[in-house]
Amino acid sequence: MFRAHLLLCGGTDCTASGSPEVKKALVAELLKRGLSEEIKLVETGCNGFCAMGPIMVVYPEGVVYMSVTPEDIPELVEEHLVKGRVLDRLLYREPAVDAVIPTMQDIPFFALQELRVLRNRGLIDPEVLEEYIARDGYAGMAKALTSMTPEQIVEEILDSGLRGRGGAGFPTGLKWRFAASASGDVKYVLCNADEGDPGAFMDRSVLEADPHAVLEGMVIAAKAIGAHNGYIYCRAEYPLAIHRLNVAISQAKEAGLLGDDILGTGFNFDLQIYQGAGAFVCGEETALMTSIEGKRGMPRPRPPFPAVSGLWQKPSVLNNVETLANIGQIIARGAAWYSSIGTEKSKGTKVFALTGDVNNVGLVEVPMGTKLGTIVFDIGGGIPKGKKFKAAQLGGPSGGCIPVEHLNAPVDYEKVAELGAIMGSGGLIVMNEDNCAVDMARFFMDFCQDESCGKCTPCREGTKRMLEILTNITQGKGKEGDIEMLEQMAAVIEDSALCGLGQTAPNPVLSTLRYFRQEYEEHIREHKCRAAVCTALFKSPCQHTCPIEMDIPSYIALVRAERLEDAYKILLKTNPFPSVCGRVCDHKCQTKCRRGQMDEPIAIKFLKRFITDNASRPKITAVPVTRKETIAVVGAGPAGLTAARDLAQRGYKVTVFEELPQPGGMLRWAIPSYRLPRHILDGEIDDVRALGVEILCNTRVGRDIPFEKIEKDFDYIYLAPGAHKSQPMGIQGEDLQGVYGGVEFLRDFNNNETAWTSGEKTLGAKVAVIGGGNSAIDAARCAARMGAEVTILYRRLRQDMPAAVEEIEAAEHEGIHIEYLVAPTKIEGKNGKVKAICLEKMRLGDFDRSGRKRPEPIEGSEYILGVDSVIAAIGQMPDLSFVPQDSGISVNKWDCFDLAEDSKSQTSRAQFYAGGDAVTGPDTVIAAIAAGHQAADDIDAAIRLKNGEEPWEEPAEEHIDVPFVVDEESMEAPQVSMPELDAVTRIQSFAEVELGFSRADAIKEATRCLRCDAEI
Amino acid sequence: MSLVNLKIDNIDVQAKAGTTILQAARQVGIVIPTLCAWTEINHTPGACRVCMVEVDGQRSLIAACVFPVGEGMVVRTNSARVRTARKMVVELLLSNHPLECNYCNRNGNCELQKVAEIVGLRDVRFEQPVFDKEEWIDHSSLSIVRDMRKCINCHRCITVCESIQTVSVLTPAFRGKDIRVSPAFDLPLVESNCVACGQCILACPVGALHEKEDIDEVWAVLQDRTKHVVVQEAPAIRAALGEEFGMPPGSLVTGKMIAALRRLGFDKVFDTNFTADLTIIEEGNELLKRVKEGGTLPMITSCSPGWIKFCEHFYPDLLDHLSTCKSPQQMFGALAKTYYAEFAGIEPKDIVVVSIMPCTAKKFEAARPEMTSSGYRDVDYVLTTRELARMIKEAGIDFNTLPDEGYDAPMGEYTGAGTIFGATGGVMEAAIRTVYAVVTGEDLPDLNIAPVRGLDGVKEATLAVGALGDVKVAVAHGLGNARRLLDKIRKGTADYAFIEVMCCPGGCISGGGGPIPTDNAIRQLRAAALYQDDALVQTYRQSHESPSIKKIYETFLKEPLGQKSHELLHTHYLRRGDELPQSTYEEVWENPERHA
Repeated sequence: MFRAHLLLCGGTDCTASGSPEVKKALVAELLKRGLSEEIKLVETGCNGFCAMGPIMVVYPEGVVYMSVTPEDIPELVEEHLVKGRVLDRLLYREPAVDAVIPTMQDIPFFALQELRVLRNRGLIDPEVLEEYIARDGYAGMAKALTSMTPEQIVEEILDSGLRGRGGAGFPTGLKWRFAASASGDVKYVLCNADEGDPGAFMDRSVLEADPHAVLEGMVIAAKAIGAHNGYIYCRAEYPLAIHRLNVAISQAKEAGLLGDDILGTGFNFDLQIYQGAGAFVCGEETALMTSIEGKRGMPRPRPPFPAVSGLWQKPSVLNNVETLANIGQIIARGAAWYSSIGTEKSKGTKVFALTGDVNNVGLVEVPMGTKLGTIVFDIGGGIPKGKKFKAAQLGGPSGGCIPVEHLNAPVDYEKVAELGAIMGSGGLIVMNEDNCAVDMARFFMDFCQDESCGKCTPCREGTKRMLEILTNITQGKGKEGDIEMLEQMAAVIEDSALCGLGQTAPNPVLSTLRYFRQEYEEHIREHKCRAAVCTALFKSPCQHTCPIEMDIPSYIALVRAERLEDAYKILLKTNPFPSVCGRVCDHKCQTKCRRGQMDEPIAIKFLKRFITDNASRPKITAVPVTRKETIAVVGAGPAGLTAARDLAQRGYKVTVFEELPQPGGMLRWAIPSYRLPRHILDGEIDDVRALGVEILCNTRVGRDIPFEKIEKDFDYIYLAPGAHKSQPMGIQGEDLQGVYGGVEFLRDFNNNETAWTSGEKTLGAKVAVIGGGNSAIDAARCAARMGAEVTILYRRLRQDMPAAVEEIEAAEHEGIHIEYLVAPTKIEGKNGKVKAICLEKMRLGDFDRSGRKRPEPIEGSEYILGVDSVIAAIGQMPDLSFVPQDSGISVNKWDCFDLAEDSKSQTSRAQFYAGGDAVTGPDTVIAAIAAGHQAADDIDAAIRLKNGEEPWEEPAEEHIDVPFVVDEESMEAPQVSMPELDAVTRIQSFAEVELGFSRADAIKEATRCLRCDAEI
Repeated sequence: MSLVNLKIDNIDVQAKAGTTILQAARQVGIVIPTLCAWTEINHTPGACRVCMVEVDGQRSLIAACVFPVGEGMVVRTNSARVRTARKMVVELLLSNHPLECNYCNRNGNCELQKVAEIVGLRDVRFEQPVFDKEEWIDHSSLSIVRDMRKCINCHRCITVCESIQTVSVLTPAFRGKDIRVSPAFDLPLVESNCVACGQCILACPVGALHEKEDIDEVWAVLQDRTKHVVVQEAPAIRAALGEEFGMPPGSLVTGKMIAALRRLGFDKVFDTNFTADLTIIEEGNELLKRVKEGGTLPMITSCSPGWIKFCEHFYPDLLDHLSTCKSPQQMFGALAKTYYAEFAGIEPKDIVVVSIMPCTAKKFEAARPEMTSSGYRDVDYVLTTRELARMIKEAGIDFNTLPDEGYDAPMGEYTGAGTIFGATGGVMEAAIRTVYAVVTGEDLPDLNIAPVRGLDGVKEATLAVGALGDVKVAVAHGLGNARRLLDKIRKGTADYAFIEVMCCPGGCISGGGGPIPTDNAIRQLRAAALYQDDALVQTYRQSHESPSIKKIYETFLKEPLGQKSHELLHTHYLRRGDELPQSTYEEVWENPERHA
């Protein structure tokens, strides 16, 4: 008896990550400490948690150590095996909550799996037959050989509902029945271990961890169909699997479990391994058989089907590794046991090789019908680095992708096919938002083109031509008609290729077209790759990702060269509000920054602010009105002012109508001054005025000036009124005094700052803020600055909050308490004033279309929080009541303007354009600026087209020479952090929290830029 | 054989169980275009995917060339789905095929052209690849050019080379878009065991395989006034050439052929049949000598150069069984530059011998270093039947309206025995006629020897030949059939005295240089034309009766197997199978550039 067992994973992945060295160190350490007699070290097959290798499990406790190195061994032995203390630093950390979980049974990755095929993984030494037998190994075979007729075996497998795990899902029992009834005294049982999909490794792991299970399945199959010979076709790239198989075969022969007169039953079955050279097509059954015959592995037409005429024209059954690994247990435990889990038409479990952009890369086995989201998020631990899930590619190059809106899909043969993918052999590649759909399709098509055997025309020439079109699209050479051509070719190739490889090769294209057609169109029409993957389309990912394509690499280079005046000019080329954006932009650019793949992205936003803080503002001179057309802009927010500026620069007379007393829109009325000081905003608005734009404040269209008047007085009108109305919560008590909408509160606060700060107006001592967006945080932080005790109530989890992470952190630092998984049900009042808020706890259920889990109330979890005010910041919508219903301007069900088809800014009435939040619903500053640019371009283009003029050409600007200096080697270095007021000081006032980079900081940060824009 | 009922395009069809949809459709006059299938040699890889049809109940389209008919099956061969797929498949093929149709060797006789017409293709929407001709065209062989740019991967050539000829030189190399048909390790054809038979050319639906043309060279010597250009035509030419001008297969065009050759500018129009008769005298006597003196038996004919090369490569141990006689082409060349030179008083160096052959291997044979017994290269140029037709067209000769003309002396006269050399069994039949007469002193009662005629792969006959008693002979055509006899010899179970082997299935009438298409029906018609020439046209039907043969022995050769014959008409062979470098895998990997 040993007091402890150390189960060290010896699968291929852990071997690659160093388990042999760990084993050596362990043996030496145990010997050194004289523990060899007490503690047994077992090298197992693949444990499944491949990304965390080398993995070691210590029994009896079941403590799992991850990423163990030989250097860890002395400490590990000392702590765990001598002192009996778990060594924390090598334990698993759950990414979502960042907590350690010591034991296997508690780690969701393991706990949520249902192990049948993989039941012995990590538990037995695959090279010891007795360990397999001790786990009921060969019991099924013994039963089949001694007490069952071939017909009974086939019947049992049929009843179990087992379907071929190689991909097509053909009922295994049926396949056997065909082969059993085929005439001929020579038949073959073949095992397909030619696993070749990119990202698939389940067959290899089964062979490495439990080779006898496959042999057992083959003997049973042989008995069922009357075969006496078999082959395992395994690719030569799997040396460890082949080694273990060879060991297993010789052990089984030795033990009378294989060969002549198995178990004394008189039944003979012998098998050998045939090593394939690694052609993907050799996984196709007829090609595989041709290859075993010693010929070039090319498929042949069917019929005749292999069950009638297969290997060497003899009846043959070919089953995949995973299928065969199920057989022994089905026979031993019965069909009913097997079919007790799974879905109606897909029984049992399925093993998936979970790879790609997922925290827990590894091998997982789950019941058929498990939700895709469960596999990716609960078992897989979600997407690393807080990125968004985009799609999962199922079935490798023959499969398709399943996008975020189908995370609730139960993964079984039927559902997966319905969604346009295939189960395949179980490769499940998770892709985050940084993957381009077109590039993904191109990658798989490239694979198919390479792996096509070349025999039939559609596959040989068709994959080549489809790849050509896809490559063109990813290189910006796509043209109208390409998508239709791809669809046409896909249909013909599917319909006419000789074998499964060709027939399924178009699947990734069809499936990405189904779910991401818009991305194809963006590539073709706008040369835009939203994932910033297709490098031929852009200079740098940051610039490409910026909605207004700011020339980021140039201004960063100019910061490094300390030429800030030039840098400022570059900012102003595309952005009228650089000092605003330097503070409050959501910096999409940084999410695609290549530096982020190395350590952290460049602090682009902060560098932008540094420029505007430290360079003198370029002087603006009025542009004379040279054009006869007059333009009205409704709303002086970022969208309206940007459009006004662009149009004024082109010589138009522009008048802006603003309802509120000062221009700026959300920049002034929603964003608090501690984030965006008013003088900064005023400076940039003044620049717009300086061009000649007239801004009429306190002028609400429809109230202070009739709608009909602007309609008559102006040639074109740009409607950009924003979304200044809070969405109601729809609960009782919402009309009580002390209940505010988020934006309404902020607007009132910013309009009457003195009244609020002096205590003339007050929220009271305890404030609840409902919501998880930036408005909620802004309201909460304002309330905190007025001395209130603030609680944010959010119905999901922190990672689901739409607010910027920096803002959430800042709020936490300022002492704001955030409660998650909670939602209001009612507001209670007294004397018409808020007294308390009734809440209900939530749990997360299914996934919604955004890929987040939908909160569901937990019954009986209600509780009450006493508060003096409630701020409901759960969403905003535009107030378009100023637009007469009979104006012909179409407004949709979200109270937003509808745009004309084929236009990005024109409304349903040609004279009117619209943009910003009033079209999109609440969005970012930079999106509003982009919308303003778009509208100005479109209005100007429409005018010129009408006048028969040439399109506008940007006047030649001063050329700014951008230095190209880049370091030979970049050392890892994190982002320079932004100096800020400490939390205690800052909640005393509305002074700006972030203090701005010093010159040294800025240059250091600019030096981190990798200069992706370089043309080499 | 049971019958099944099915509907094709709403037509009720009864077809034998096991036949394919393609065959059943043909039965009722429905044309399903196809490029790769060649049922005559059992080649239906289902690869080109042009013959796709819709079958009710099937998920995808299916290939009619391989899918068996079934009871109650409903087939649609012209639905929109089918037509779209076919068109796209042909478009894809053409997208990767040089559109050199106007100047392609197979212009007007190309199956891909034809299929593109059938499917109604009007546009190829893809960019044509630019091929490096150096890389894609193999000019190394003296007989066959492999232009792999044009290959459509039907793999018919592979099957004919492998299963009919059992030479197995061609194989698919590389994968996917890079796939091409090539000798092992992508070696140039000349370094392979290719026997140059050209059956692959007949199999090729497009211009990917064709003979190495010598037309320009022949035009040049015809223009050269210092050269005296004589021409010989193999027996099979007269039975096939007409097809190149739209005549039905089996048209015998001897007179028009002679007239055409004169108009092309040949100084003398002679006939290979003359030396075919001579071969019978020499070979017949050689056989008698071997029988009488206990030489190596069975003796095997040596007229077919592809066969000779095959034997040299694959059965070098059996070379002693080959008759030492040169082929009629080479006998002719040697005599043209000796016997005819003397006769006409022309310096042999000024004589140019051109052969018109149904054969691509003859180009190789004429260039063999042994074939210079006249002191010069005996045969200067070899043109295939197809090349001759091209020259006639180029010269603006309206072949069909030509008058019949006769041969020149002294090498133009021939007997019926000479002419049937062109069909399988012909040499055997001609030899038996003469040997019988020589041994018994009287003619065979029936000069038509039926057992050696026809297209059976291996034919056997036993004849009582006077004092020799029963003589057992065998005839094989196509190298796969030859192999069966050779293996018998190796095993010591071949009790034949004499074997005729012709490299090509059907004999020279379907040589690799003949008109395309060639199939069994056409073979039979061409052979019939030759038997007609033998039985109805020629004055004499036995070689030894030919006055010109008698004359050449009287005036020049003196006697069969004599000194002159030995010098000019007999040859020896190379043990190629022993001498070819036996490359190992390692050697190939070490010299990748040589094999790349």
